[in-house]
Amino acid sequence: MNQIANPTSSPSAPRPRAGRRLHPWPIRIMHWINAVVMLVMITSGWGIYDDDVIIRGFYFSSFWRLGDWAAWSLNWHFAGMWFLVINGLAYLTYGFVTGRFREKLLPIRPAEVVHTVIDTLHFKFAHEDITVYNAVQKLLYIIVILAGISQVVTGLAIWKPVQFSGLVSLLGGFQTARVLHFAGMAVIVGFLIVHVALALLVPKTLWAMVAGGPRVTPNSQAQAHHPQQGHTT
Amino acid sequence: MRSLFRPDVVPDTAILDDHQPLIRSLERRGLIRGSLSLGALALLTGCDVKRPESVESALLAISRLNDDVQALLFNPNKLAPTYPASMILRPPKFNAYYDVMDVKPVNGKTWRLEVSGRVADKRHWKLQDLRALPQTSMVIQHICVEGWSYIGGWSGPTLRIFLEHVGADLRAKYVAFKTADDYPSSIDMATALHPQTLLAIQYGGETLADPFGFPVRLRTATKLGYKNPKWLTSIEVTNTYTGGYWEAKGFPWFAGI
Amino acid sequence: MIHSVAIRILLGSCFLAAAMNLVHAQSNTPGGMPPPPGMSLTESAAMRFPQPVRVGDLRGRAVLRPVPSQDVLGRVREVVRDRDGRIMVVVDFGGFLGFGARLIAVPVDAMVLLGQDMEIVAFTPQQLRKFPTFSPSGTTTVAGDTVIKVGLAKPSH
Repeated sequence: MNQIANPTSSPSAPRPRAGRRLHPWPIRIMHWINAVVMLVMITSGWGIYDDDVIIRGFYFSSFWRLGDWAAWSLNWHFAGMWFLVINGLAYLTYGFVTGRFREKLLPIRPAEVVHTVIDTLHFKFAHEDITVYNAVQKLLYIIVILAGISQVVTGLAIWKPVQFSGLVSLLGGFQTARVLHFAGMAVIVGFLIVHVALALLVPKTLWAMVAGGPRVTPNSQAQAHHPQQGHTT
Repeated sequence: MRSLFRPDVVPDTAILDDHQPLIRSLERRGLIRGSLSLGALALLTGCDVKRPESVESALLAISRLNDDVQALLFNPNKLAPTYPASMILRPPKFNAYYDVMDVKPVNGKTWRLEVSGRVADKRHWKLQDLRALPQTSMVIQHICVEGWSYIGGWSGPTLRIFLEHVGADLRAKYVAFKTADDYPSSIDMATALHPQTLLAIQYGGETLADPFGFPVRLRTATKLGYKNPKWLTSIEVTNTYTGGYWEAKGFPWFAGI
Repeated sequence: MIHSVAIRILLGSCFLAAAMNLVHAQSNTPGGMPPPPGMSLTESAAMRFPQPVRVGDLRGRAVLRPVPSQDVLGRVREVVRDRDGRIMVVVDFGGFLGFGARLIAVPVDAMVLLGQDMEIVAFTPQQLRKFPTFSPSGTTTVAGDTVIKVGLAKPSH
C-alpha cells in the first residue's frame, strides 16, 4: 500500500489536530439541536401548509402536523425559526473557522460520486473509516446545508413580503417564493430519509454523533484528499 | 390518526388551576372577561388543556417578542408594491370567520361610525362624510395568513387623514376597531399612519359590496388580511392594548408583511 | 405517553408509503353546503351574495372540491345557456393528467367563486361522475363580455 510520505508536504491538505475526534462536542450539540429544531420547523410547516395547500389534493393529516391548528403551527414555526437560525449560524461559523467544511466536504470528484452510488445500490456501505466521508455523503451534506440556507431566505421572503419586497421580486413573486419554500422542505425531508436510514444501517455512525466517534488520524485525512488508486471505502 | 397532543382521558376542571398564570397573563392583555369554562379555555388556547401550559406560554412569549422585532423591521416609508388596475380580481376573494350566508349587510343610510378615545372630535361619521375626504386609490397584493393572495384595488381616505380630521393623538400606541360582525381588531399607530392604510369605501372603483365590508373596511397594504376588519362601526385611538378576534385565539398581533 | 409516542413515530416511519395515502383521507361530503332538503339550487345560490363576474374571466379557472385538500375536479371550459335559459358551466371534469376527462354541464347555481378559482358546492364528486357527458345541441355559448352573477364561499378548512 502506498503511504503518503508527509502530509505537510502537500500544502492544500488541511492539518487536522492529532487525536481529535470525528465529531467534536460542539458539532454534536449543534447536530442534535438542529435535528429537533428541523423536525419542529418541518412538522409545524406542514400544519401551516394545510391552511392553503400548494399542491391541490395533497394534504397532511393531523398525525403529521405540529400544532393543533393553524395558529399554533404558526407559533411553533415562528419560535423554532430563532433556534434554527442561531444554531445554524453557529454551525456555519464553526465549520468555516475550524476548517471542518474544507476538510470533510471537499473535494468532490464526479467519478467518486458515481462509484459510491453504485456501491450503495449494491448495499455496500460498510464504511470502514467513518472519519472520511465518501463522495455521496459530501454531496448530500452540502445539499442539505444549502437547502437550509434557502429555507431561511425564502422563509424571510414570505414572512415579510412588503418589507423585503426586493427579495420577493428576485425569487419571482410571493407565490413562487412560497413554492420554493415548500420545495426546499421536500429536499430536506428527502435528505432526512436517506440520512436516518443510512445512520441506522451503519450504527457506529450514529454512535459517533453521540460519543464523538474514532479519533481522526493525519493519514486518513491525507488519504481523503489524495486518494490512492481504487476507492477509499 | 389522532393528534399526539390529544389526551387519552377527558381532563377534569382541576386543570384550570394549573392554567391560572396563563389565564392571568392573557387577562392582563384585556383578552378575557368574565368566568372561564373548560370549553372556553380550550377555545381560547385553540387546543386541549392537557398541553403543558409552560410550552404555550413560551410560544406566546416568543410571539410577542416577534411582534417587537416586526415593529423594528417596519419601515414607515416603505411602500408595498403596486400593480396595474387590469390585474384587479373581480370580485375579490371572500373570507370571514363564518361562511358567506351569515354575512349581515349594513344599512348604509343609517350607518354611523363612532369615534372615541384620544381624539378631540368624537362626533359620529356618516358615509358621505368619508366620501368628502380626499380619496386615495391603490392596487396592492392582499396576502392571507393562510397563504393565498390576490391583487385587489381599494379606494378611500387614508386612515391618517381621518385621524388628523378628528384631532387624534398621533403619538398614541394603537388604533382599535369594532365591526358589525363582532370582529374586533387593533393596529399599531405607525401602521395606521402609513400612506397605504385606507378606510376603504370602494373596491375596483365601485362601492364596496356587502360581502366585502360595506360601507367601510380597513385596508392596509402592510399587514396580513386578518388585520383588515370589514363593516367598521367604531374607531378608537388608545394606549390600551385591545388585541383582536384572532389574536385571542393565539394568532400573532403585529402580523406585518 | 412517551412509549406510545415512540411507537407511533416508529410505525409511521416504517409505513411511510402507506401513510402518504392517509393524507388523502377526507370527508366524502362537500365542505360547502348543498341545498337543504326542500330548497332549490337557485334559492340556495341566492343566499351566497352572488357577485357580478365577467364570463370571459371564468374560462380556464380551476374547479375545486370544497374541502381542505382543495382537490381539483376539473377546469372551466365554457359557459352556456341551456334550452330553458339556465346558465350552465361546462367543466372539463375528472381524468388523470389529461386522460379520461369529459365535459359535463354544471348549473352555475351549484357553484361558487373562490378567489381566482371556482368550487362545486352542491354536488359530491360521486354525483358529478353520474352527470351525462355534455352535448352542445340546444345550448348557446355565453359571450365573454357578458356579466353573470355567481355566489361566494369562504375557503374550506
